[in-house]
Amino acid sequence: MVGSSTGKWELIWPFFLILILHCVAILLYTRGFLLTRTELSSFSHCSDVSHSPCFPRHSSDLSNSSSSPSRNLSMTDRVEAGDRNGRCWTRPAVDRLVVIILDALRFDFVAPSTFFDENMPWMDKLQVLQKLASDEGSSARIFKAIADPPTTSLQRLKGLTTGGLPTFIDVGNSFGAPAIVEDNLINQLVQNGRRVLMMGDDTWLQLFPNHFEKSYPFPSFNVKDLHTVDNGCIEHLFPSLYRDDWDVLIAHFLGVDHAGHIFGVDSTPMIEKLEQYNAILEKVIEVLKNQSGPGGLHENTFLLVMGDHGQTLNGDHGGGAVEEVETSLFAMSLKEPPASVPSELDTSTCKLDPNGTKTCFSSIQQLDFAVTIAALLGVPFPFGSIGRVNPELYALSAGTWNQPTINATNWSNLEEWMQTYVNVLCINSWQVKRYIDVYSASSVIGFPSEDLLRVADIYAQAQDEWTNILNNSFLSGNEIQDKRFDTSLFTLRKLIDAYSEFLESVAELARSKWTEFDLKMMGLGLGIFVFSLFIHFVAIRRATKLHQVSFPSVGDSGISFRSIFALSVVAIRACSVLSNSYILAEGKVANFLLVTTVFLNLRYSVKKKKMLMEVVVFLLLISILRFTVEIGLSKNAVSTVFMKGIFGGQITLIFIAEIMPMLTLILLGYLLYKTINGNSCWRILSYLLITGTLISYVFVALHWTLESDMFAKQLVFKGIGRNFAPQVIYAIGFGLLILLVFAQAFMPKEDAMNYGGILVSKTVAMLSVWSSTIIILLGRQGPLVSLGSIIGGWCIIRLHNSELDQNHGNVGALTTNPLPVTQWNLLAVCLFFSSGHWCAFDGLRYGAAFIGFDEFILVRQAILLAIDTFGVSHILPIFGLPFLVSLQYPCFQSKQAKRILLVKLLQVFLIYGLITAMTTMFTIICVTIQRRHLMVWGLFAPKYVFDVIGLILTDVLICLASLYYFCQIEDDTTQDRVMKKCSSSEKGL
Amino acid sequence: MSPKTTAKAETTQNETTQNGEVVVASKNAFLLHLVCGLGLAVAFWFAHNIYAVNLVSDPAQTLYLIWVIECPFVIIPYSLFRWNPEKCSFLKAVVRGFLGLPAGALLNTFGAIVLGAPVGSQYMKRTINWSLLMSLFTVVPAASVFGSSWKDWQRLFAYSKPTGVLDYMICIPAHGAAIGAWFGAWPMPLDWERPWQEWPICVTYGAVGGYLAGIVVSLGFTVMYGGRQQHVKGD
Repeated sequence: MVGSSTGKWELIWPFFLILILHCVAILLYTRGFLLTRTELSSFSHCSDVSHSPCFPRHSSDLSNSSSSPSRNLSMTDRVEAGDRNGRCWTRPAVDRLVVIILDALRFDFVAPSTFFDENMPWMDKLQVLQKLASDEGSSARIFKAIADPPTTSLQRLKGLTTGGLPTFIDVGNSFGAPAIVEDNLINQLVQNGRRVLMMGDDTWLQLFPNHFEKSYPFPSFNVKDLHTVDNGCIEHLFPSLYRDDWDVLIAHFLGVDHAGHIFGVDSTPMIEKLEQYNAILEKVIEVLKNQSGPGGLHENTFLLVMGDHGQTLNGDHGGGAVEEVETSLFAMSLKEPPASVPSELDTSTCKLDPNGTKTCFSSIQQLDFAVTIAALLGVPFPFGSIGRVNPELYALSAGTWNQPTINATNWSNLEEWMQTYVNVLCINSWQVKRYIDVYSASSVIGFPSEDLLRVADIYAQAQDEWTNILNNSFLSGNEIQDKRFDTSLFTLRKLIDAYSEFLESVAELARSKWTEFDLKMMGLGLGIFVFSLFIHFVAIRRATKLHQVSFPSVGDSGISFRSIFALSVVAIRACSVLSNSYILAEGKVANFLLVTTVFLNLRYSVKKKKMLMEVVVFLLLISILRFTVEIGLSKNAVSTVFMKGIFGGQITLIFIAEIMPMLTLILLGYLLYKTINGNSCWRILSYLLITGTLISYVFVALHWTLESDMFAKQLVFKGIGRNFAPQVIYAIGFGLLILLVFAQAFMPKEDAMNYGGILVSKTVAMLSVWSSTIIILLGRQGPLVSLGSIIGGWCIIRLHNSELDQNHGNVGALTTNPLPVTQWNLLAVCLFFSSGHWCAFDGLRYGAAFIGFDEFILVRQAILLAIDTFGVSHILPIFGLPFLVSLQYPCFQSKQAKRILLVKLLQVFLIYGLITAMTTMFTIICVTIQRRHLMVWGLFAPKYVFDVIGLILTDVLICLASLYYFCQIEDDTTQDRVMKKCSSSEKGL
Repeated sequence: MSPKTTAKAETTQNETTQNGEVVVASKNAFLLHLVCGLGLAVAFWFAHNIYAVNLVSDPAQTLYLIWVIECPFVIIPYSLFRWNPEKCSFLKAVVRGFLGLPAGALLNTFGAIVLGAPVGSQYMKRTINWSLLMSLFTVVPAASVFGSSWKDWQRLFAYSKPTGVLDYMICIPAHGAAIGAWFGAWPMPLDWERPWQEWPICVTYGAVGGYLAGIVVSLGFTVMYGGRQQHVKGD
């Protein structure tokens, strides 16, 4: 018994070796490629600013600080604080701040439609903001805020509060948001005694677990829920506006984001949400204005209404597309008199709308947000911020003007403001310079030295100018005459430009060079990967050898045309990932290549004059797949309009869309029943299986009926069914899976005579167990996609069989033909894309994770999401691979046949793994080459993550499948034993 | 050369003499290909100079002009070389060619759409004209020469083991055009934003290029094979 069990292991150990090698390679490579930016744990303090060259000090101060830089900080702090009349880094310009964040607020939600070519239904809905911005008498302005990708909420909140650039790896953490360890705006506020009140999205609480004075968090992950978070916000927002127990209020609304995810931008729920927000904002502004009089609660309050990122028309976000990174920011100061932006620094674009009102908007980088707000509130700038204090946003607050009446045309006013701003910029530049110095010193690789030198040079120049001006003003006794205004303004302007240049070049440097690639690690990982491919080839050779051991008469059939063809198809597909265009069109490429291979089959069919029907069916199936792939891919861009054009409101079509999946489901159930019933093996088990799976299908149908609008109204017990049905399906699926595993482990010795039949029933059992879960997760397209995969698989098997027929009676002679395996793989890729997935994080169908569950538990939801994403492209094809082998020789009934089958199965699994590994290796090579590409984080890195996860999943599934399908060959490694066994079995017969 | 193939060649030789095939001399083959190539050149020149359109500016119109002009240049010469000239008149061969044109276009359209050609009202005219042109390259010569003989079609397009000069002349340019079109589709997804990346411009370039290459290769084979044939005859 022991000997025979090693027989099984002898066959399948290469899978495990390859799995381990791939894991090691990918781990090493990922360590090198997706390095997080080193997060420094340094914090800014009020006292630090004394080291900056930005304050004219008395000589005693100068000697004091220069002589002992390592002095007790708290001492200096007190001295400095006393020195500068309680101000910390900058003079606080606003007392209170209200930040209303509307998640996924596109720029065209806020900006007037006159700025856009076309007036779309979702524009001009937040009219209260537009009116205020165009109103002459108020200091309000609309900004186009430009975010840095990745544009997921967590990343953006991190970016907004730390003023730094995000790192790619954090996207993966987006589900389980970890607390921010870096210095950030919220931390600075708390450190400096500001009370922060938070309400809305609970991501904030995960990022800042202990920072808020008071918080009203609401769960954010259930995208189907449009109202819980918003209603919670509204409930707490208005009472809070009348209280004075906070300094900074953050209200984070999620409705627009969720409406986009579920319905898309051009939808009624979205417009209703926007109209609701308009009403809320109107009320908020009214409350604030009522109390903005002298002595009022909101005398010097600053209001910000902003988005954290945009969204595509389809409601997706995460990438770096223009629609996703452009969001809006509306800022308004309630302090009287209204401030205006000095025209010299004003970069706004203005347009007149048909009514003659003029509206303007300016641009701001989200990077600049943290530092600008810190400057306005007078707290130290976050240590790791690389943003610049935005002049337009800064000038908007009347507090920065320090004058009873503000008039930007008044020279003295303007110059004083410029002076203040230059001072702020000086501190800003000093802080950024300090950060890059510390960062370069503490981080292993840091920035390239020539870039550092260049930036340092710019800083030194700006600083020189600053000292000159300081000296001049000292010389002239701090009294500036009227006649020198012009020159002084000119020099100030020059200084602002110099500082701005420095800050911009730092931001640019950081953007381009931040990701530190550990090339050694990457090289090592790639090397191991190449080695694993080599092992793969060796394993395939070994399988062929095993084959030859049993049939020594058969020589090596050599390399056939078909092998070369299959190899070149795989190679073309692998090479195609080297270009970003082909990655975007990956589904089409797979489809193109699949059709090309089928044309080869077509030629063969024409030659042999048979199986023509199968070829034509297959081609038709692929052409349907092709259209679904295109719809799936264009979902990326703009397809909602297109889809509406097709299915626009026609009830019959909607009815068909409702009924079709049900009918297909019934067909699938019937097919399953026929297949399992027709098989003789595993009687009781098959009975259980078929009952379980059919019950699951009934529940799937029930679930959809309850979900759909058409039937839902007649049914009373809606609440039970919504989560109950999917949960039952998961439970049945899981139970059957366990049952199968036990059956496999404790089955009485299998009838070796009919191993092919056993293999078929095992495969059918495995697939049917998975099918119901995958179908319900895929939604209504599920049954159609499953049916498509069944037909496709059937065609591939039939076509392959027809080619084997010519050598009938000598089947063992052929080494496994890689062409059908290649087709199998390409079909799987096509199915991945045609079921509405693509290789980007916005291609994940988050809704699928909440089928059957309302609350968010990381592991559970991640598993569901993984099954949805990889179900039809990895799980089903791999567990279905034995069909390729077992249906070939259904008529063989001998020990030899079992051996042939096992070796063939081994080869098929190895070849399938090799194809996936080759593609993944080229993806890895591609990201290595393109690691400085503009799209690396938007396109290549997600592709890399998807491929790598897909590869590991493929390996794991192959290992599991091999454990499940393989059984021991009865130690008949030598020819005479085979002969003996054969003769004995013949005797037995 | 193995004895088996020689035997096969001999049987074909016998067959051809039985069926009364016109023995295609290399000179004739050369002339035929020259006419086809010239036809293409004339068509392009015509479209460019008389109608002032080209593939990039107006693909549908240009393709239409090309296939209309190329049509007689293909059908008439191939009909002259029709199989079995005693039983089949020249006119019948021409009619066969014209019937083959839309049939082949249908096949080509189907192939293109399965492979991923864009579908939509704005592409319809281009696709139709393109597939008519492709049909001229691939299906029409065979239709003119062999008519509806399934065995010959099988030999030409499934086995791709041509057994005579005529087979080379039909088979190789047709395969060249198809493979060229297949390669021509490669640049289409790239983000170069060039006008010629539109369907079916680069595919047409690929097909025409492949066709011309096929002609050259076919001529090469003809010279080789024809020489050998004469040699056999001399023996």
